[in-house]
Amino acid sequence: MQQEAAIREPLILGNKNYKDITDDVVGPIQGKAPMGWKIMITITSIIAFYGVGCILYLIGTGIGVWGLNKTVGWAWDITNFVWWVGIGHAGTLISAVLLLFRQKWRMAINRSAEAMTIFAVIMAAVFPGIHMGRIWVSYWVLPLPNQFGSLWVNFNSPLLWDVFAISTYFSVSLVFWYIGLIPDFATIRDRMTKPLQKKIYGILSFGWSGRAKHWTRFEEVSLVLAGIATPLVFSVHSIVSMDFATAVIPGWHTTIFPPYFVSGAVFSGFAMVQTLLLIMRKTMKLESYIHTKHVEYMNIVIIVTGSIVGVAYLTELFISWYSGVEYESYAFINRFSGPYSASYWVMMTCNVISPQLFWFKKIRRSLVATFILSIVVNIGMWFERYVIIVTSLHRDFDPSSWGEFHATSIDVGVFIGTLGIFFTLFLLFARFFPVLALNELKSILKSSGDEQKRIQPDGKSNH
Amino acid sequence: MADNKIYWSGLEELDRTPEYERIASQEFPAERPVDEFLSDDRLQRANTGRRDFLKFMGFSVTAATLAACETPVVKSIPYTNKPEEITPGVANYYASTYYDGHDFVNVLVKTREGRPIFIKNNTETGLGRVNARVNASVLGLYDSARLQAPHLNGAATSWGALDAAVSKGLNGNGRKVLLTGTVMSPSTKRAIAALSEATGVEHVQCDAVSYSAVSEAMEMDYGRRVFPSYRFDQAEAVVSLNADFLGTWGDNVWYTGEWAKTRRPESGDMSTLHAFESGMSLTGSNADRRTRVKPSEQGRVAAAMLRELTGEGAAVQLDEAVMSSVKAAVADLKRAGSKGLVVAGDNDLATQRIASAINRSLGALGTTMVVNAEPGLNQGDDKAFAQLVTDMQAGRVSALIVDGINPAYHAAGAAAFKSGLEKVGFSISTAMYADETASRCTAMAPAHHWLEGWNDLQIDPKRIDIAQPAIQPLYNTRHSAESLMAWAGQPVDGYTLLRQTHNAAYNAEAMYTDQDWNTGVHNGFLAVNVPEDVAPVFTGADLSSALREVAGRKGGSFELDLYRKVAIGDGQQAANPMLQETPDPITKTTWDNYVTMARADMEAMGLNTYIAQEDPASLVKVTAGGQSVELPAFPQPGQTPGTVSIALGYGRGGDGEAIGRSAYQVDGSGEHMTDADGNLVPIGVNAFSLATLKNGTPDFSVYDVTVEATGGTYPLACTQIHHTYMGRDSVVKETSFDGFLAEAGAKRGEASWNKTIGLNVHDDVNGDGEINALDKKAVGEFDLWHEHAVDGIGHRWGMAIDLTSCIGCSACVTACHIENNVPVVGKDEVRRHRDMHWMRIDRFYASDWDMERGEEEGLGVISTYGKMEEPGANPQTVHMPMMCQHCNHAPCETVCPVAATTHSNEGVNQMTYNRCIGTRYCANNCPFKVRRFNWFHYPGYDKFQNVNPAQDAIQRMVLNPDVVVRSRGVMEKCSLCVQRTQSAKLEAKKAGAPLEDGSVQTACAEACPTNAITFGDLNDNASEVRATYDNNRTYHALEEVGIQPNVAYLTKVRNTSKS
Repeated sequence: MQQEAAIREPLILGNKNYKDITDDVVGPIQGKAPMGWKIMITITSIIAFYGVGCILYLIGTGIGVWGLNKTVGWAWDITNFVWWVGIGHAGTLISAVLLLFRQKWRMAINRSAEAMTIFAVIMAAVFPGIHMGRIWVSYWVLPLPNQFGSLWVNFNSPLLWDVFAISTYFSVSLVFWYIGLIPDFATIRDRMTKPLQKKIYGILSFGWSGRAKHWTRFEEVSLVLAGIATPLVFSVHSIVSMDFATAVIPGWHTTIFPPYFVSGAVFSGFAMVQTLLLIMRKTMKLESYIHTKHVEYMNIVIIVTGSIVGVAYLTELFISWYSGVEYESYAFINRFSGPYSASYWVMMTCNVISPQLFWFKKIRRSLVATFILSIVVNIGMWFERYVIIVTSLHRDFDPSSWGEFHATSIDVGVFIGTLGIFFTLFLLFARFFPVLALNELKSILKSSGDEQKRIQPDGKSNH
Repeated sequence: MADNKIYWSGLEELDRTPEYERIASQEFPAERPVDEFLSDDRLQRANTGRRDFLKFMGFSVTAATLAACETPVVKSIPYTNKPEEITPGVANYYASTYYDGHDFVNVLVKTREGRPIFIKNNTETGLGRVNARVNASVLGLYDSARLQAPHLNGAATSWGALDAAVSKGLNGNGRKVLLTGTVMSPSTKRAIAALSEATGVEHVQCDAVSYSAVSEAMEMDYGRRVFPSYRFDQAEAVVSLNADFLGTWGDNVWYTGEWAKTRRPESGDMSTLHAFESGMSLTGSNADRRTRVKPSEQGRVAAAMLRELTGEGAAVQLDEAVMSSVKAAVADLKRAGSKGLVVAGDNDLATQRIASAINRSLGALGTTMVVNAEPGLNQGDDKAFAQLVTDMQAGRVSALIVDGINPAYHAAGAAAFKSGLEKVGFSISTAMYADETASRCTAMAPAHHWLEGWNDLQIDPKRIDIAQPAIQPLYNTRHSAESLMAWAGQPVDGYTLLRQTHNAAYNAEAMYTDQDWNTGVHNGFLAVNVPEDVAPVFTGADLSSALREVAGRKGGSFELDLYRKVAIGDGQQAANPMLQETPDPITKTTWDNYVTMARADMEAMGLNTYIAQEDPASLVKVTAGGQSVELPAFPQPGQTPGTVSIALGYGRGGDGEAIGRSAYQVDGSGEHMTDADGNLVPIGVNAFSLATLKNGTPDFSVYDVTVEATGGTYPLACTQIHHTYMGRDSVVKETSFDGFLAEAGAKRGEASWNKTIGLNVHDDVNGDGEINALDKKAVGEFDLWHEHAVDGIGHRWGMAIDLTSCIGCSACVTACHIENNVPVVGKDEVRRHRDMHWMRIDRFYASDWDMERGEEEGLGVISTYGKMEEPGANPQTVHMPMMCQHCNHAPCETVCPVAATTHSNEGVNQMTYNRCIGTRYCANNCPFKVRRFNWFHYPGYDKFQNVNPAQDAIQRMVLNPDVVVRSRGVMEKCSLCVQRTQSAKLEAKKAGAPLEDGSVQTACAEACPTNAITFGDLNDNASEVRATYDNNRTYHALEEVGIQPNVAYLTKVRNTSKS
């Protein structure tokens, strides 16, 4: 058993024992759904259905129902795609990278963060599909054996790399998440009294019996998957950024994009984790497990990544001037002074200025401030992608084709719809899945539990 | 465990009987005694038993059931007797002649399986140049709104009944008048003579857009009432006084090419063009020096020019700036001498007389201007027409036949004509549509579309141009000359009428034996032996009254110039969706007419000067002579302050006439909009009523109008909303003629006005011992990719576009549109920047600002860029045709995830529609933004029901069967007319000879009246396009992106030095 300095803030507050943890996590699954949950899922599913309706209308009618045109061929679709993929970065970073670094505070948040990742990646994957003019042949992007004279995909295309990157990331994240869920499902199974529920959780837990051999394998698999997942955290958004970086369009053709996109992704991912967890801890009474310390740690990650993003913005501006390339320099001047400059300044304010507030300890440890800023950051990150995509495209090389982009109600509807689907999935997760990695948490109860730390000054050890 | 199972096919094999052994040892089994069995006569006597009967019956029922199952029925009707000249899949071309009352062109009609699908110029007749109106006219043939039968009192009838009614109608007592446009057909003239002899009908000619002042001036000066032939190819200096001779004025189709011949800088000489005008016309945009004047000043400009040239007349009041332009123009005219030419566009006698005097004093008569004895184009007599209208209103006209024109729409006094028409005893129109005039007539005798019937036309005394049918008449129509003959009581079919005109002894036996005639039909014209024309003698009267008149002209606070747009012209093809969607070469606006105004005036009135997708134009009300129109205001650089211009030809069919589904406005869902009376809402507003009538002659320059803002707004659909090229001289390169001559001997890439772009490298490439900013390598030397050899291997298709020759007329745009089945998408989609044109013409205005000036004046970079977005008040203009550049290192090709766009081994960037999944990544990555996405299912989606030809059962016959109609969700773009190169290669292969340069042309190159576009094989060292690649004016647009296009541009040279 690991020892931890007593002066360190405990990770689990309150006089918790193993049973308490199980009760706190499994209790809500066993009990009846609270009214608040029902209201929320009603709202989110209505939004989700509206979004699905918009998507069906889009597929049935044509991409023209969006506001795209001959000059701006991507706008909200790819903005949303990159935004969701970015959000999907936090979960794996928390569970894989922090696992490798033995950061125990991750245990309270990794389950939900991973769930968020999975759902965000699902939402992200919607957009490359529906943005295609002919979604019914979207399987052509897969290098499948075929009878079209055996027509191969184009390995030069970053869009193809995207397909591989996203699908790999999704599968690894899903497996990683599920492996972690198995012991917890088993705990639920053991506590369930209704036969059907017992049966379902029994199937989900893959016959977990809690034997030492199972735990050994569990630990090993987790480590191996963490090892696999860690490079993916960095590769996915690097590859997404290459959609732009390998293009010739001024404002896209930038070597800085991969690190800039990855830090932006972590930045927005942590913000989304904050948004979700701050609501969840309140409504599901998990204040003992997710508290100021966790929030503060995540805010520190947000300061770091937000600052990297800020430096990247300034570097871009500097290079656009320093390169002396007419088109490049105009593209950036146009970003902050052209028709879409409002988006640019929203992006700058939300992403560069707002995270710097976390240097103040008071703000960093304030849950309300964190909640507000987490939303601000994600608004900023959405605009970052919008700025990169739309302002670069709308005025590129040939001024005769310079144009405008105006979003239609379907553009908005599809985006809001994915938010609805995302939150619906997350609410379902919160209702039926163990929202904390309860078995993992139990492992730190003795080393970082509030109760244990409190009695130590008396010289008596609890263990 | 080994298993020793033995498998056997029968007991014989298992037992190995001798019989089996014997058979098995034979490679070929013994022959069966089939014959023996069949010849057994016991077989004949066999009775069919009950069981056999049931077997047979079962089989028959099953067979019958199977046969009854429906298989898909494909209705393709094969030729029972294949016509000798038609091979399915192979196009036939027929020489013909287009004449619509204004444009006169020798064309070749391309037909496929009997359907005319494309009009191209007939290069072998000497009169073959097309413009947008001509090549798009093929669409009109298939218009289902055409009258499909003769009508009497609004009901369909038979020709017999109609003829009987007309004969009765022509028996009246009052004036009987045949009202036509300018008749150019000898046969029709013969028919008119026959008719007037038989019934006493008088013939009155009236043009939609009148040029009578020109003819009258000629009559006063030379005693010949003709519209002169202008010889722009002879001109060294041309001055246009509001005459848009490159776009719509006179025989513009012809002038464009002739003028362009004098604009080849490589020849060492270039003609100059001065334009004095109020609105920006196509001619003005191509002028070397363009001066803004008001309509009321045009006459004074002419007078000042005459005074400068000859000293005749008194000094006139003109601005200093205008006066200096006049002096510059006169200097050029003097230098050119008899090779100078002044053309005046105003239909104003005084101005025309002065212009004629200038030409005479230059000695231009006989060189650049020929006054023929025979009248050619534009013979309309407005005075006769005015008298007719007066008589009609007084009830003195008992019968009126209207042929080929639509005065109820375009007459300056259309209201008077309409009210007069009600008092005419019997009226009949031969229009193809129940248009404004025809629908008000007692009877309608619809004529053929020009592609359906025979005709002969004469613009030059030395030749008869022949129009031959390219298809059987689609509807129950009749050639108008045939109708006239029928009403004259001498019914004859159109063909016989035609033949008899040119050979009185013609009879049916001679139909196929007259070789001269057959050759003439094949070539498109018959040569006629006529004595040389006698030069006209000047009999002119004193000019002083004209000079006095123009000197005293005063304008109001606003003056109005009524002009015609290049695509819509006088409005007779208003229902042609391709023409409606062809952007105006100057404003780049589609589907509307509008009031062009100077920006300063608009700002003073508080009108919106930025028009884009969500920024509609402000509505203004323009009132002239008691008539007013309400139209959106468009900020036009180059517009003279204090003037407004409105295009004619719009507002067709506003009173419930059915002139074609595409002539009316549609709402967002594609349904026609209706007004309070339930009538369809026409596109634009008819501005003919605003013209001033001077002695019955409409003058389209109005000196006093009021313009007021109404406060309303109206969306306009523009294909280009950014008007300057932001100083990006790697997109557009231009120089002056002096600048060109100074470095005429420079190699490509070395002249100061066309320098190869170099990129800095960290290497001492210039060998000065230092690595610094001077070390540059030409952009072509950088390469990311493994080089695929393209030079010298097979074909490599390429194109060169001369920006000096391109005048922006847009003939290439419509030609490409028709050839490649490019969808028409309607106003709402164009407004959303979703026009589908594969070939577009970018129009750039010069800005008064550049980075240097910004620096000098201490402006920051951002403010300077802001200023550079604004065109100058009277800017120079560049027209730049832009289509897929077929880059050898194409950015679109690398990014497609499914390899739907690839490079062919002939250098063409090709689009595989059925592989495309529609990610649009290629379009985003295209530096020229030439890729077009199918946002909707254009051939089927309701939004396009009233605009897309593919959505009309008849009109879709115009689609080119060689080019697939693209489905929704795929990308498309210029293919360099791959269907044409493929077929030319096939022809060459069949002939067993190498492909000859020029034997294949893209639709755009073929249509270009100024030969600005050269297409050919870059690997053919003898080809014309290869030669242009060595020209020192040649450059690739956006060269520094490293895309290595196969399309090149030739630097624009303006002749700004001599003036």
